Amino acid sequence: MTNAAQPFRLPDIGLVDHGAPLAFRFDGRAFAGFAGDTLASALLANGVRLVGRSFKYHRPRGLLTAGSEEPNGLVELRSGARREPNTRATVAELYDGLEAASQNRWPSLDFDLLSIASLFAPAMAAGFYYKTFMWPAKFWEWLYEPAIRRAAGLGRAAGAEDPDTYEKAFAFCDVLVIGGGPAGLSAALAAGRAGARVVLCDEDFRLGGRLLSERREIDGRPAAQWLAQTLAELASLLDVRLMARTTVFGAYDHGVYGAVQRVADHVAPPPPHQPRQRAWRIVAKRTILAAGAIERPIAFGGNDTPGVMLASAARAYVNRYGVAPGRAAVVFTSGDDGWNTARDLGAAGVRIVAVVDSRPRVDPGLRALCESLGAALHSGAVVFAASGGKSLSRVSIRKADGSVKMLACDLLAVSNGWNPTIHLASHHGARPVWNAAIHAFIAGDLPDGMSVAGSAAGRFSLGEALADGARLGAVAAQDCGFAANAAEPALTTDPEGVGVAPVWRVAGSRGKVFVDFQHDVTDKDVELAAREGFRSVEHLKRYTTLGMATDQGKTSNLAGLAIMAEATGKTIAETGATVFRPPYTPVAIGALAGRHRGQDFRPARLAPTHRWSEELGAVFVETGLWRRAQYYPRAGEADWLTTVNREALAVRGGVGVCDVSTLGKIDIQGPDAVALLDRVYVNAWSNLPVGKARYGVMLREDGFVMDDGTTSRLSDSHFLMTTTTANAVKVMQHLEFCLEVLWPELDVQIASVSEQWAQMAIAGPRSRDLLRAVIDREHDVSDEAVPYLAARKISVGGGVEARLFRISFSGELAYELAVPSGYGDALARALMAAGRPYGVTPYGLEAMSVLRIEKGHLAGGELNGQTTARDLGLKRMMSQKKDFIGRVMAGRPALVGPDRPALAGFKPVDRAERLRAGAHFLGLGKPADMDNDEGHMTSVAYSPTLGHWIGLGLIKRGAERIGERVRAYDPVRGGDVEVEIRQPTFLDEEGARLRG
Amino acid sequence: MVDPSLKTNWPRRGAWADILVERPADAARPVGVRIIAREGLGVAGLSAPRGGEAALATFVAARYGVDLPAPARAVRGAAQTFVWAGPGQWLFVADRRQGFAEELKQLLPLAAVSDQSDARAALRLTGPNVRDMLAKGCMIDLHARAFPPGAAAMTSIAHIGVCLWRVDELAHASEAVFDILVARSFAGSFWSWAEASAAEFGSSVAFSP
Repeated sequence: MTNAAQPFRLPDIGLVDHGAPLAFRFDGRAFAGFAGDTLASALLANGVRLVGRSFKYHRPRGLLTAGSEEPNGLVELRSGARREPNTRATVAELYDGLEAASQNRWPSLDFDLLSIASLFAPAMAAGFYYKTFMWPAKFWEWLYEPAIRRAAGLGRAAGAEDPDTYEKAFAFCDVLVIGGGPAGLSAALAAGRAGARVVLCDEDFRLGGRLLSERREIDGRPAAQWLAQTLAELASLLDVRLMARTTVFGAYDHGVYGAVQRVADHVAPPPPHQPRQRAWRIVAKRTILAAGAIERPIAFGGNDTPGVMLASAARAYVNRYGVAPGRAAVVFTSGDDGWNTARDLGAAGVRIVAVVDSRPRVDPGLRALCESLGAALHSGAVVFAASGGKSLSRVSIRKADGSVKMLACDLLAVSNGWNPTIHLASHHGARPVWNAAIHAFIAGDLPDGMSVAGSAAGRFSLGEALADGARLGAVAAQDCGFAANAAEPALTTDPEGVGVAPVWRVAGSRGKVFVDFQHDVTDKDVELAAREGFRSVEHLKRYTTLGMATDQGKTSNLAGLAIMAEATGKTIAETGATVFRPPYTPVAIGALAGRHRGQDFRPARLAPTHRWSEELGAVFVETGLWRRAQYYPRAGEADWLTTVNREALAVRGGVGVCDVSTLGKIDIQGPDAVALLDRVYVNAWSNLPVGKARYGVMLREDGFVMDDGTTSRLSDSHFLMTTTTANAVKVMQHLEFCLEVLWPELDVQIASVSEQWAQMAIAGPRSRDLLRAVIDREHDVSDEAVPYLAARKISVGGGVEARLFRISFSGELAYELAVPSGYGDALARALMAAGRPYGVTPYGLEAMSVLRIEKGHLAGGELNGQTTARDLGLKRMMSQKKDFIGRVMAGRPALVGPDRPALAGFKPVDRAERLRAGAHFLGLGKPADMDNDEGHMTSVAYSPTLGHWIGLGLIKRGAERIGERVRAYDPVRGGDVEVEIRQPTFLDEEGARLRG
Repeated sequence: MVDPSLKTNWPRRGAWADILVERPADAARPVGVRIIAREGLGVAGLSAPRGGEAALATFVAARYGVDLPAPARAVRGAAQTFVWAGPGQWLFVADRRQGFAEELKQLLPLAAVSDQSDARAALRLTGPNVRDMLAKGCMIDLHARAFPPGAAAMTSIAHIGVCLWRVDELAHASEAVFDILVARSFAGSFWSWAEASAAEFGSSVAFSP
């Protein structure tokens, strides 16, 4: 049975493909395995038994299991930017060129200096870090925590950007089947035959569950035949989707399940156009949990020695992977199932040294099996010590009569009954319920629509699994409205025993007795927790960290609870269990993010002139989702301020153009449109003539300012409202709420037309000249025809419909010209071409901000959700003749108190000083503390027209303090500037330019 | 409303300009998703005034030969589609923009009309893997039983609001056809999602008309 390359490979057994050899490396050493192997099975085939070092004590560890519950065999998979830490070798599908490394060891796995931690074990009991590193507290951050993190812990993250991609996807089904073993496949078949839409997920890369690892018969034939036939039929059903390599990791509300599909983890790198992993959200009307069960270890001395393995895992390595996990095996069992391992290992040629059955009486049939294997039988006996360091060499047993015997072996297969895999049933918060008949917790209250089949329900025999699946699959399909087919005759199976009398901990053990392998929690830690009063299961968990590792205690929780029950003189049922939380197994953050990272983190909105701005070399800035042109640098300009100064001066001295398409635009039509405007704005609208625009301010219900903008009357019952860019969606929602909930009697129809119109601001003393050059000749735009605040429908470019508004944010003679978005690019280019004689200058958001601050106009810094109309100097706009949203609440005493910060302008006393937005105002000579805080600077700009920095801010009694000096104190950036309070308008207070 | 296709020599920039390029099927790979960028549609929002739904419905039936669709439905006439867009609201999608302004004028007395022809980017998606591709972003069930021909939805894909409806007539057509409208400013981000999501199946890109 030996093979030079893979000395533990069995030639004629298993599902791996001996014709498809794969090369891989572990800790730099080259090995070979076969297609169908996991990393774990391939390592065992090569005789590698030491695969990791434990979390706290750096104990040598080997493989305990053959599945996703593995606590020991954690490795770093792949290398470089693709390195993935803490991957269980038992589920890592082998591929050619796979690279893996052990973790948490230094300098090497075989010789780990940090294993001296074991010598200090007495000082490292439960809660040791709370006790040992208590004092001095300041040492924690720079000494204790870094030291602990280096010594304890798991693998290393890649530290480089992940080169692979991830996806999200959504699936819908009538019946979701979780688990592709005999119960799950039967359920999927029954539901699928009835016509239901079925999704079946299994974490394994091969469907079949335990059938792949057992030598069983169904209907008198090898189970593999039933499996192949069932899979073929399922694949033929159009509405059945079989998803291998897919772990359902969480159960959420309303039949929503989270799953992660490892699309390309079994190849390196992923093929073109394939994500590495795909996160699924599956919406199911009914769910059948057929997740199987997890075998339990036994707590005894040295039970973490490499070579101690769950009996079911040993069977899986032999039957499925064709690997002997040892050459001389002892089986230590508390139930019938361990005997299957003795039988299958024996049949594969592994020498069975002895079967140690803790039960005093053993079935005569089993006794005969022992004889046929030539193995010693020790009934009523226990293993109390295993030893051998990095590889098991012997176990010590205490026989029924109390005598002690040493057995030489390199494999100890341990069987202690099974725990139903009920994690997903518990994700809604229901606690598992103890079932004394099977000595295990089963699911308590189930999530709506979920049923549990087979081993997951504590019905451990193959016959029960098949029957449960068929029955529950049919019921689920019926629940979804599908007629069930005539009942199929029940399948027969070969006989099996499922009796068990579990041994939670072997009394009188020698050596460390591990309960939680991954977190290095021993029986002593649990007892300590009991002595120190941490007796509730929730306290036990947090004090000892039992079950808090990445495996969530799949192999450890119950033993911990049983030892706590014993220590407190209670039953396990009285002790209770913690609940499970998603995810069932670790999920990479990358999978949850999907493709929403980097530039795709969230969608970007591009203005209609984006391409034009790009061609001009614009620098863009993110404002919400929009990418807006911030400024347009020219060659030779030293910095952004130089550029912005040039742009702002060009507007003041000639003409500039700027895309303002991002403003929200809401089309309002209907006979009651005026009534709506009157109610949402603080000012009056009924007297706005057709063809005019008006500035409006709207409040929230609580009296604070929500948004501002202009609204134009296009016809008697047709208005166009504009909003700030930031509040475009919020204002639309607000109006919809008003119309649908507050005043459904109003006959008003609203529609967002923000995307329909590209809008350019044309600002500066030459703006009218430029405007004339692009509009169609028949339109008169003289000051008489288009006075300040006029709103007109015109046309440009020989027939393109357009809207012209004479409004100004810059304080200059200015227009906004709107065309359908498809013509926005053409409009921008036409303006540039026509504006050449006037020195037309494109300007960005920065220059726009300079211009508006010079004029004391409001923007996001002032409309910050905490300011009232009164604070902003807009009290006179608030109509006394009508009601409007926010009117009453704006009159609350605290909002009209004289000390409220009010809008004012600020300039530095020393004109060379720079101002900073966010600086707080303090009285001169007053200490910088909250008691002296008088408000803050909301916006600042360098005014190239004035030649110094200016600012807008909110300061107590601002309007009454013109001329007074205060400090603008900015501790974050080290600013402390004496400023003079002034009117918020810095330029052209009379508005002569505006009307020019 | 001026028909923008008249007179002007200003170039009109389509919503997919610089985003999508025509790409025939790769002969070496099967084409799982066929993508057609629909340029030149007329799109408008229709909102019936209070108590005016019946009159609007009568007009639409007389002029276009179709009943205004019920909630979550779309209905197709000879050269135009109506898609339910909310209580008393429909999207009017004409295959061609020529003459669209005139049609809107006809509707004006019966509904608040907002021209959205420049506000939307339109795609038609079909092919054997079209549902697999859409499942990577669309949070609603597009299976034939849940989303039959004529079904419509306002939903979101990859955090981008979309209006989506099924165009084809056969309930169990192996290749369903979906029309999608997204806001113009999102077209680039939407395509980033669509291209990546279709890549594994192989795709072709064409422009229509």
